[in-house]
Amino acid sequence: MRVGLEAFLLLSAVLFSIGVYGAVSKRSAVQVIMSLELISIAVMVNMVAFARFVTPDRGTGWAFTLFAMVVSAAEVGVGLALVLAIYRRRHTAELPELDELKG
Amino acid sequence: MDWILAIPALPTLSFALLLVMSRQVRMRMLWLPVASIFGSLILSIVAFAQVWPGGSEEAIWHAGWEFAELAGKPVDLSVALDPVAAVMLLVVTIVGAAVQVYSLGYMHREEREGWYFAVLSLFTAAMLMLVLSDSLLLTFMMWEMMGLCSYLLIGFWFENEGPRKASQKAFLTTRVGDLGFLIALFAIWGVVGSFSYEEVLHTVGDWPAAVAAVAGFGLLWAAMGKSAQVPLQVWLPDAMAGPTPASALIHAATMVAAGVYVVARMLPVLMVTPWIMQTTLVVGLTTALLGGLLAAVQHDVKKVLAYSTISQLGLMFVALGAANAEVALFHLTTHAFFKSLLFLGAGVIIHAAHTQDMRFMGGLRRHMPITTVTFTIGSLALAAVFPLSGFFSKDEIVATLLHEHHYVSAGVVLLASLVTAFYVARMLFRVFTGPEQTKHLSEGHMSMLAPMSVLAFITLVLGFASPTFANFLGGHGVWPDPFVAAISMTSAGAGLALGWWFYGRRSAVVNTAIWKRRLGYAYDALAQKLYFDAVYDHVFIRPFMLGATLLAVFDMRRLDGFVNLVAATWVRICTISWRVDVTAIDGVVNGVASAAKGTGSWMRGLQNGVIQRYQRLVLGAVIVLVLVVFMVKGV
Amino acid sequence: MPNTVDGIAFAILAISMVGGALGMVSSRNIVHAALWLLEVSVAAAGLYYLLDADFIALVQLLVYAGAVVVLTVFTVMITLRRREDAVRPVDFSWPALLLALALGGILLAAAANFPKKTISMPDAMPSIVRFGELLFTARGYALAFEIASVLLTVALLAAVWWSREVED
Repeated sequence: MRVGLEAFLLLSAVLFSIGVYGAVSKRSAVQVIMSLELISIAVMVNMVAFARFVTPDRGTGWAFTLFAMVVSAAEVGVGLALVLAIYRRRHTAELPELDELKG
Repeated sequence: MDWILAIPALPTLSFALLLVMSRQVRMRMLWLPVASIFGSLILSIVAFAQVWPGGSEEAIWHAGWEFAELAGKPVDLSVALDPVAAVMLLVVTIVGAAVQVYSLGYMHREEREGWYFAVLSLFTAAMLMLVLSDSLLLTFMMWEMMGLCSYLLIGFWFENEGPRKASQKAFLTTRVGDLGFLIALFAIWGVVGSFSYEEVLHTVGDWPAAVAAVAGFGLLWAAMGKSAQVPLQVWLPDAMAGPTPASALIHAATMVAAGVYVVARMLPVLMVTPWIMQTTLVVGLTTALLGGLLAAVQHDVKKVLAYSTISQLGLMFVALGAANAEVALFHLTTHAFFKSLLFLGAGVIIHAAHTQDMRFMGGLRRHMPITTVTFTIGSLALAAVFPLSGFFSKDEIVATLLHEHHYVSAGVVLLASLVTAFYVARMLFRVFTGPEQTKHLSEGHMSMLAPMSVLAFITLVLGFASPTFANFLGGHGVWPDPFVAAISMTSAGAGLALGWWFYGRRSAVVNTAIWKRRLGYAYDALAQKLYFDAVYDHVFIRPFMLGATLLAVFDMRRLDGFVNLVAATWVRICTISWRVDVTAIDGVVNGVASAAKGTGSWMRGLQNGVIQRYQRLVLGAVIVLVLVVFMVKGV
Repeated sequence: MPNTVDGIAFAILAISMVGGALGMVSSRNIVHAALWLLEVSVAAAGLYYLLDADFIALVQLLVYAGAVVVLTVFTVMITLRRREDAVRPVDFSWPALLLALALGGILLAAAANFPKKTISMPDAMPSIVRFGELLFTARGYALAFEIASVLLTVALLAAVWWSREVED
């Protein structure tokens, strides 16, 4: 059995949807950030697959994957630090309780 | 030569800069107007050197811009530099610079000092532009600009009733005169189709007699308003409500002289019609004599100077009426210097004595030596005492009149100069001699005395330039004829002696009540300013007010009745509409309101601050957008 | 051989990834969720290896398995006051599910409609040397790489700043 680009796209679509579900539904800030990581993994799977199947001779897709990793690593670092800071001030990391934007 | 435009441009620039500053910043930027006037002064000296030695009326520099087009003909605003303009530039910038330096001391710590300097700069710019102007339209514009500045400066202390009323009176009275200028402009445009001085003066011989008369009289009337000639002299004494240095510049040296200047320029237009020249002469003589007599009964030192200005301007009109523009301009020049000197001196005296009333002054000579010397120089020049500048210029007027065989006029002028010498002596003796009536008299500040000393020096020496001056302007300069000089000196000496006899004798306690009683009606008439104000009040102002009252009554009885009827009808209509309103329209409005309220409370739920609710909204929106794209593109 | 992707290997990796992701969002214990994320990351690295991206696979292991998950677990540990707090109530949400399904549907539709039906992989492959040249030369992505390093430094500083102790 041989699989092509479509299989990778389908897999990444499923992962992306699961990540979106987690990001939208989870109450814990940490879990939301983990879901965001899932989304970025889905994106990277997509990029590596495209790089291999569509532009195999240039490595551009790899480079972008690398940068995407950098960005998501930075995002995780800052995001978790923010969660920590919020937790220290408010003694909670539950998103529904952090409703200071309420108008 | 276009740098000459910088002469009026510098003060304009400083006005523009001061205008946009705040009051506090202006206070610290006072060097700006002073620097700009000194810049103009230096440029004026250079311009004068370029024109030297003069001797012709040809302009050595010309510039013009098309301002508008009227019936296919271009309306030009043009400027030119000729000997007359060069002399006037010097006069205006020297007096202007002296006044500005003096004002630094005089207006010190005045709250709106910056504004004062700004208006002074604007005024200087307007006067310089008027002097350079080679187009009647530009002249008229600057003429009005000066009127505005005069209004602003007379009303400088607008918190007080007096200055406010005086500024309105000055503005409205000169406006009556300006009407003449406008009519003259219309007439001249009608026949010449240009406002250029050159074209107007070259074609004047071909004009229809009626047009020449209208234009000539219009110009004369305008000049009478600006130069405060009888019967339009009433505004100038009241204008003394403004700051004294501003009076020195505007109401003694420059603006009031603008009338004389414009008539001197346009003299050929007036000369076409003989009766206008006679009118000029008569107006000048009347003003010279009446102004002097009125000055002799004033107690306020500034009013004395104001009436004396009126009287001296009358003498210039006499010279114009005798068709001798050079003499008029020479008297204008000498008068500008010694009269501004007198006003500046009066400012120092008022500051020291804390009053303007001469009856409460006295003995200032011992405490204020520099002021005494400079003020006396100015006063004696005013009284036309040899060898001061006033003597030479007044002597030339008398000589001109005798030469033209106007013997009666010459007699009136001599009488006027006798009266002048009398009130000069009265002023000097009352202010500087006699017992002291004020404590703590002290000399003025250096910044005030220095400009006065400069002006006094000019007054001392300028007379000897008399023939040169006339030659420079293109006339024939001569030294005074000893015979004429003797006559005018006699009249001046008689006036001074009379003044000494009344006010200066050591034995005489200054008490003139007995003379006032003996002169009876004559004194009363003078004290009431010859009833001019009263007559204007009865003839113009009261009927105007009465008319206004009648109109107001008509307004209330007739117009208001109609208005009330309309209103009552409207009220009835409104009552009907109110019923419709309550039942039908309010229902709709309330429905809309409650719908809005419902939407609002639903929308409020969106703003609950839970971040994931927002996230869902965003995602939903993205999905909708993508679906829309799919539908449009057909996947 | 490596002109195609082996179906069996792909199936194993794909199933473990989807399963791990589902486990992550459905797990009640937050520590377990973090471990499921670790599993997904490792499977993703395997997938990259399958696609001949050895270097990316390595970086994926280092960054995700080594750094991100560890950081997450670390944060979880700090924000838990008691051990029992790790177990959370089920927070299932219908709107979220609907949204995720709608988005997934759209993505699947888009993927299924991808015009190029590619099964076999082209031969040409950049070597790790060429990739290095691409990444570190001025004609390649050297500038972007430097910017990324600045971004990481800023993120590091921000993380340190925000996670400092505050007294209030």
